[in-house]
Amino acid sequence: MTAFYRNQEYEQESDYPDFTNSRVNLDSLNSPDYPYSRNNSNNLKFKDNAKYSSTHNYPNCPDALNSPDYPGAEDYLDNLGFRNHQEYPGSHTNTTFSRSQRTPDYPGPRNSSHHSRSKHSLDSFSFVMIPDYPGAKDYQDSREDPDDPDSGSNAYRSSSKNYPHHPGSLGIPDHMGTKDYLGSRNRNNQNYPGSLGIPNYQGAEDNLGTPDNWGSAYKQNSQNNHDYSYSENPEMGNKGHHSGLFHRTLGSPGRGNRDYPESFQMTSRQPTSLYSMHPVPDRDGEEKLIASLINLPTRDRNKIIRNQPLTMQEKRKIKKKVNMEKQKSANQSIQLNYCTQCLTATALHYRHFKSVTSEFFQSLDVWQRTLKIIGSKFGTSVLSYFSFLTWLLKFNIFSFIVNFSFIIIPQLTDPKPNNLSFTGLELLTGAGSFQQTVLYYGFYTNSTIKHKGSNTSYNMQLAYIFTIGLYLVICFFSLLYSMACSFRNNFINPHVYSRGTAKLVFSWDFTITREKAVKLKQRNLTTELKENLSEIRHENVITPLKQRLSRFCIHLAAWIVSTGVAIACCAAVYFLAFNNMKFLREHKNQAATLLLPFLVCCFNLFVPLFYSSFGLVEKFEIPRHQVLVIIIRNIFLKISIIGILCYYWLNSIAVSHEECWETLIGQDIYRLLMMNFLFTLFDSIFGEFLRRIIGTKLIKSLGVPEFDIARNVLELIYTQTLLWIGIFFAPLLPFIHMITLFIMLNVKRISLMMNCLPPSKVWRASQMMTLFIFLLFFPSFTGVLCVLAITVWRLKPSAQCGPFQGLPSIIHAIYGWIEILSNRPSYLWVVWIYRNLIGSVHFFFILTLIVVIITYLYWQIIEGRKIMIKLLHEQIINEGKDKMFLVEKLLKLQESQKKTNTFPLAQERREQEVSLNNGKSPGQKIRRHGF
Amino acid sequence: MGSSTSHLSKELLTEYQELTFLTKQEILLAHKRFSDLLPQESRNVEDSLRVRVSTEQILTLPELKANPFRERICRVFSTAPERDSLSFEDFLDLFSVFSDAATPEIKSHYAFRIFDFDDDGTLNKEDLKQLVNCLTGEGQDTQLSTSEMKQLIENILEESDIDRDGTINLSEFQHVISRSPDFTSSFKIVL
Repeated sequence: MTAFYRNQEYEQESDYPDFTNSRVNLDSLNSPDYPYSRNNSNNLKFKDNAKYSSTHNYPNCPDALNSPDYPGAEDYLDNLGFRNHQEYPGSHTNTTFSRSQRTPDYPGPRNSSHHSRSKHSLDSFSFVMIPDYPGAKDYQDSREDPDDPDSGSNAYRSSSKNYPHHPGSLGIPDHMGTKDYLGSRNRNNQNYPGSLGIPNYQGAEDNLGTPDNWGSAYKQNSQNNHDYSYSENPEMGNKGHHSGLFHRTLGSPGRGNRDYPESFQMTSRQPTSLYSMHPVPDRDGEEKLIASLINLPTRDRNKIIRNQPLTMQEKRKIKKKVNMEKQKSANQSIQLNYCTQCLTATALHYRHFKSVTSEFFQSLDVWQRTLKIIGSKFGTSVLSYFSFLTWLLKFNIFSFIVNFSFIIIPQLTDPKPNNLSFTGLELLTGAGSFQQTVLYYGFYTNSTIKHKGSNTSYNMQLAYIFTIGLYLVICFFSLLYSMACSFRNNFINPHVYSRGTAKLVFSWDFTITREKAVKLKQRNLTTELKENLSEIRHENVITPLKQRLSRFCIHLAAWIVSTGVAIACCAAVYFLAFNNMKFLREHKNQAATLLLPFLVCCFNLFVPLFYSSFGLVEKFEIPRHQVLVIIIRNIFLKISIIGILCYYWLNSIAVSHEECWETLIGQDIYRLLMMNFLFTLFDSIFGEFLRRIIGTKLIKSLGVPEFDIARNVLELIYTQTLLWIGIFFAPLLPFIHMITLFIMLNVKRISLMMNCLPPSKVWRASQMMTLFIFLLFFPSFTGVLCVLAITVWRLKPSAQCGPFQGLPSIIHAIYGWIEILSNRPSYLWVVWIYRNLIGSVHFFFILTLIVVIITYLYWQIIEGRKIMIKLLHEQIINEGKDKMFLVEKLLKLQESQKKTNTFPLAQERREQEVSLNNGKSPGQKIRRHGF
Repeated sequence: MGSSTSHLSKELLTEYQELTFLTKQEILLAHKRFSDLLPQESRNVEDSLRVRVSTEQILTLPELKANPFRERICRVFSTAPERDSLSFEDFLDLFSVFSDAATPEIKSHYAFRIFDFDDDGTLNKEDLKQLVNCLTGEGQDTQLSTSEMKQLIENILEESDIDRDGTINLSEFQHVISRSPDFTSSFKIVL
């Protein structure tokens, strides 16, 4: 850092003709026109001041004196340098520098006051003991003892001691001035773990500070600078030790080596040992790590060790050390009592059990292989569709198990005769002999199933309503959870800086392992990058009004047409549905029931194709918007069709006094699902296959089709919505859906492998997945909840069939149950919970109020954080600028030193004196603030 | 592979499980794959834990064969002084970092090192240039022109170089990565 300071001096020397003038100022800091020293003169202990205050700058004096790791130099020089600039108008001409002064609260004096205060309390006595501190002779001594390991670590600690004095988030700007100019950024991060969350990188960086390493560097250094002032070297060492790489590279030109290339070679070689490959990891960092690990439970400890970017051997070593330390402390501590031993044993068993079960489930994961193959050929984007599909499949297996065990098995123990014959068409229509099976609501009994012989009974009504209800609650929370997770991952940053070039470049898809696929991916990436570049080039060119107007008109027209088509489809479904009942009464044929689902599936298949053909006319400035717009239009179409169907079911079928309207709705949904499944098969087998044949054989320009992820995912969302509605009316539906999904997974996979190409555009898979899960939650699941709530609370269940026959509405099953329970004294708590919590309006009102208040508080916290992030970001930019400034200065200095190296030795001496004289001055200043 | 000899001891397995993100099956599979790379006579447990496999042989694995960063990956994970060979533990480290369970922090740390072609601790313009060349491939038709490359690198720096010092350091890199959630799912190699 002296280098930096000297640099200032050189600057003045070269830039200002009145060099002597500034020299005088530098030397005579006690001169009356200097504001701080004037205050100093009021100080009673003025005599001691010179010695005492100068030691203030060197926090651990006894060690620092003899060592090159000279921590105080940091404070010393920074204060000095900045004071210079602050107080001498001449230096203000330097614009870069004055910028740093403008930073909100320039901490110069405050910072130093912190230092002095802390040091004063720590070892001020030892300071007073040391005479003649600033003498140049001591420096010469220090050269003889260049690598004192103690002082090294000591320095580190003592300098970091100051940081706890800046607690709180908003205190950070205190750091931004002097201290950080030489970029002790690592330390900064360490002390504010929340800010950027860098794992342990600085530990590796500090490698450089290990004695051996430094020793050699020092030797080399001193060999190169025989005739150089010694006071510089220790400070250089300090710099190298404290800061990471940046300063090392800085240090080398600053050393004023005459063999310039060599010094650079050194810096470029060293970094290889910068990372963890260094045989001896940094002792200080390691010790700290071990110390922090000892007090953690085993599991967390393993987690942290695992998370270190170290090699296996190093990790093992750390673990061993921790274990040893742990044993040591365990021997000293009191023996664990029996209870804790018991607990730990249980925890151990539980962990073991968990690992065994997780391994078991992993071995069951049959799709792992399939997904790997897809990933290797098509990358993460297509993989995300398939993982969504398998997720849905697993989810449906879960729903099936729930329904099967709590509703279907009890019903099967109480069989009813089925006298309808099976024809085969039932598979498609779901009617006929299927009507009298456990597939539909109508088959279930409303009585309590009693087991012969034993006394156990099973209330079918309650089982039905509770199973479905709990299932929906589980769905709700799991969806909410996964939605929240992906939202958190995708919207971490409130700033939108960029168009994502960097993301594009840094996120190579390592899952792709096929040679061909890699080539393809590379080509796609190239076009994407080129497009991105051309977009940036054209960004500044404002499109003419006429063009914008025409584009707007096209968008408007496209929206009108698409909405019109969607409304027309809905109208068609509406009229067909309402006329369907008459039609069905006239034609008793089963196949006639397929008309409505066929039409709906046709709409669902062809209208989206029609929508995507808009893309030929409709051009978007940002390609991502196109995908979003297509998704919005499609979801609008699908959801409104489902909405119309629900309206038809709840308003027409449910009040039509049919014999068993719930079963009819169940059948309708069954048919829709089946038809949709057939259409999907048809689409992937013939659609994609034919498209490929046409693309490769007939019209070569079309090429092989790309896999349309958005359309396929929307299809999945649509079927899942239908399933959720249907689960009440047909409890076995998850089983059917499970089978169809399984077939679809395989068909899609084969079709994909044979016919398709990965999408050429970079598909932001996880962002899209967030959107899809959100869609699954918002219009789809919440809509289903509304429909089912109406069914349960408002509609009158059919009188002759189903578990709820004879009740005014389904919810009356619960009311009745509570009524019964209230007569039994041992169950009064259930009644109390129901009356005061679940059934009470006041409770929900208060709950909502509390939730709203918490949400509001969190919202305010988020707002605060946003401001905070903004400030920190500005600070980082400022720091970077200062860093750049210092690099420039050092390079300049290096050049000028090349010249001055030819100067006689006396010149050096004089400079040294100057720097030492100045060494006193900041101390006086600090002193003033300290008291 | 000698089926009778290819069992790692239980203690070693637990230790590997504790020190890596891999499950038992994955470790065993990795060991099997690693043993396959060894010459016939040294395919027993002791040798497989001791012997190093050269980078060229590691790169014959189908998982790495086509990867444009394959040499860098091997170099980063090698503990040999010349950085040209991998021991079994290095091999495990590699697949641990690229596994599903690895945290985003450690993934981004190693990604940074893989992209840091000259091992100097920051991504400078030269590193970025090499990185983009890896991404676009060697082919004549896919390579970017000099001016395009220059502009691209400027854009990258503009987006990710927060402190504006002309290079991207680890924290800046991790900051960019944290905003691209796809990274974790794509920085993955399944054995």
